[in-house]
Amino acid sequence: MSLGNAENLELEREDIVHEDATAQKEVAGKSPVRIAMGRLIHDRVAVACMVILLLLLLLGLFAPLINSALDIHADFESPDAPRPSDVLASDTYPKIGPPYEPFTWDHPLGIAPKIGYDNLAVLLLGLRTSLLVATLATVFSTIVGVTLGLVAGYARGWVDSALSFFIDFFLSFPFILGALALAPIITTRFGGEESTLKNAELLGLVGVLVFFGWMGLARLVRGQVLSLREREFVQAAQVIGVPTWKILFKEILPNLVAPIVVATSLALPAYVAAEAGLSFLGIGLSEWPSLGRTINQALNYYDSYPLYLWAPVVTVMVLVVALNLLGDSVRDAFDPKTRR
Amino acid sequence: MRLKKPIIAIAAAGALALTACGGGDDGGERESGTDVNQDDAGNTGDFTDPEREGPVEIEGAKEGGTVKVISQAGLNTMDPTEAYYQNTWSMLANLVTRSLTQMVYDEEQDAMVLVPDLATDLGTPNDDYTEWTFTLREGVKYENGEEVTPEDIAFGLQRSMDREQFPEGPSYSNEYFLGGDEYGGPYSDPKGEFEAVEINGMDITIKMAKPFPDMPYWGTFPAMGPIPEGPESDPAKYRLHPLATGPYMFGEYTPEKSLTLVRNPEWDPATDPGRTQYPDEYVMEFDVQSAQIDEIMINDQGEAQTTISYDDVLAEDYREMEETGRLAVGTFPLTSYWAPDYRKITDIRIRQALAWAYPYADADLAGGYIEGVTSVPATSLMPPGTPGRTDFNPVEGHEPHSTDPEKARELLEEAGEVGYEISWLYAKDDPLSVDVKDVVQAALKEAGFTPKPVATTVADFSTLRSDPDTDVNVRSGGWIADWPSGATWFPPVLGCTEVDKGVVGANYSIFCEQEIEDEITRIQTLPLEEQPDAWGALDEKIMTEYLPLFGIRYGGVAQMYGSKIEGYHIDNTIGMPTWKNIWVNE
Repeated sequence: MSLGNAENLELEREDIVHEDATAQKEVAGKSPVRIAMGRLIHDRVAVACMVILLLLLLLGLFAPLINSALDIHADFESPDAPRPSDVLASDTYPKIGPPYEPFTWDHPLGIAPKIGYDNLAVLLLGLRTSLLVATLATVFSTIVGVTLGLVAGYARGWVDSALSFFIDFFLSFPFILGALALAPIITTRFGGEESTLKNAELLGLVGVLVFFGWMGLARLVRGQVLSLREREFVQAAQVIGVPTWKILFKEILPNLVAPIVVATSLALPAYVAAEAGLSFLGIGLSEWPSLGRTINQALNYYDSYPLYLWAPVVTVMVLVVALNLLGDSVRDAFDPKTRR
Repeated sequence: MRLKKPIIAIAAAGALALTACGGGDDGGERESGTDVNQDDAGNTGDFTDPEREGPVEIEGAKEGGTVKVISQAGLNTMDPTEAYYQNTWSMLANLVTRSLTQMVYDEEQDAMVLVPDLATDLGTPNDDYTEWTFTLREGVKYENGEEVTPEDIAFGLQRSMDREQFPEGPSYSNEYFLGGDEYGGPYSDPKGEFEAVEINGMDITIKMAKPFPDMPYWGTFPAMGPIPEGPESDPAKYRLHPLATGPYMFGEYTPEKSLTLVRNPEWDPATDPGRTQYPDEYVMEFDVQSAQIDEIMINDQGEAQTTISYDDVLAEDYREMEETGRLAVGTFPLTSYWAPDYRKITDIRIRQALAWAYPYADADLAGGYIEGVTSVPATSLMPPGTPGRTDFNPVEGHEPHSTDPEKARELLEEAGEVGYEISWLYAKDDPLSVDVKDVVQAALKEAGFTPKPVATTVADFSTLRSDPDTDVNVRSGGWIADWPSGATWFPPVLGCTEVDKGVVGANYSIFCEQEIEDEITRIQTLPLEEQPDAWGALDEKIMTEYLPLFGIRYGGVAQMYGSKIEGYHIDNTIGMPTWKNIWVNE
């Protein structure tokens, strides 16, 4: 053997090692979230839903701008806003537009009877309210649910028992009755001042929704944590002396992203429907335009003025169905057992 | 008189939809063929017939059939002494319980006429109306066959003094009968002495503490009917089954749910100058949703053809119902008004500015009233048809039912109070109330006020409104006259009350002026013929000089009946059907 050969071998070996390392990097890159997102993009239903939701989100977000651009009004704030006697006949039906007059571009979805607001303006602002309430409720209930679920799952003994009891207790509490009871209390406490009533109503509603909505996610998270806490990486962290909160939020929580994302995406439509339902029952928002409130007022017009009823109904339906389908697709995307 | 639902908020302007609509222009979209004749509204003042005798026969009327009645409101109490809501009062007085006198509908004049009932005429007063004598008819029996005696009438009168036992009942006996301020009634004051009634044979003499020229009208109330003394008339039982002297008696009765009235075989038409007994039965169902009632009545299918509803048709269904031709419209003596708190808003210019600023037409629309039908432009406190009423304008230059924010602002500037805070109650859980609140708020802001509406709930509304310490400076109110006379307007609505003890009564403006108190007392002692004009003059004086309140609308009703129902007209003294004229045309 000559010395030159050994050097060549060295070089070749380095090349092979170098190639292997690069190949490894390409294979080991993806986290579960990235895998799921990748699968989601290829799901046609999910993409369609995302487009629709984005559209609705933009409509809701820019509702006030759209309203002033089209010069349509959902209240009497602006001096340009028409009063009831300006646009309504003596029997409370609109003088302009459906149902008795021909279509007009000034009011594409017609005018509301008795009060004279533009239906499109109310729809857009109502959409905004629904999205706002649902988002706030989802965010807060997720935070509360995840935190309590983590603590309940990780702690042993009486903490776990107590929290589990709480979760079960709230799960069995009748939601509607609770909302019904809370509404007049808020009215009495904040009814005097209009601006505080407005905020109090919204926060009260979000509070009620969160109060009755955090349990689902808490239970889910608790179950997951129970199985995770016996794993080696957790035990290793405990042995090293990592503080509990760090274990919870840095070690365990990242493993729960999948169920949390799924639960969140299914909670949103539930809250939209809940807000519409409560407003419909009259225990929701009175100072904010709301789809549920419009539906409630439009019920009696189903045969004489159907557009007035169907516009908000279809909007709520589209929003809830799109969110639900997206949530389903997200759940499927995260589940390694489903194959597309 | 109270409305059908036990919340006066219903009549209250800006609370719930039921009464009064506004005049004003419209886009000319509809024929107003069913507009109400406003001049004669509630007019019975000149219509009396002391000679009328039974039996009553309606030309072409057939016996038989069952009339179904559907309504949203339940019945508060059916004890004749306590019944004081439109629905309970009207059912008892017209169908079940007879009293001293009664009202009948005159088709020719389209008005109500006061005629005798159990008394043989309309009573004989003494010179200064401090004594009234009625002669009881012979041969009138209860549903159980017992004869009605003068002692029964006396006991009924005695019972009508008991305010503790019957807190929601009318209190005219306490106000006018001798000993009314002291005697507490047979149940709450068993040892007390009832001095107001004297019996001589079939003659009943009632003694008054002060002149009471309107006694014959008070005599139409079920509280002025016969009730046998003893355990039979125990209030707990009696409210579920009062003894019938009229053509119908109680069958099955489930309070708040249903009531069946069946023929009373003991009723003798020859003794009754007003009532009839054509239908076999009245089957009443309560707690039916308003939208459902409208649906049933519009479609007129099957049983609906022999059904009636004394609820107002909803604004959204008015157009359709009117086209069917089975809509009965009429007025009734309701005035809805806004009452600024007289103790807090002391400058009359601010009150006048409010009258200029209030959005009458907009509030009517937002509240679901139908212009010309359930809402009529208001000026004086007494509505059209009240004897002695004059047509005047309380606020100079102000076209009734019109809104002029500029003029309001001018007045505020003159008073140096631009930006004056106005606070009033509204019900947050009633969408109509919220909408009216929004409309009023926008209008007041435009006129230079600072509106601060106070949210409450439907359940709490009446209580808060009746509390003089509630932090509002305007209250919305409504009052229905118990009979067509100024005596049923000014004392309850504008008479002084014991405000320091927390009593507001129906005086929502919390108005109290000694000059007016004295004038009210003076008018009540005038000869009967002079009273109507005196009341009219007082109306004008109070409204133009003091303006303690301003009218938002007068009342009207729009009620529905099936295609086989005949004789359904509106009793314009109370806004209920003319039960005595109804028959079924099978």
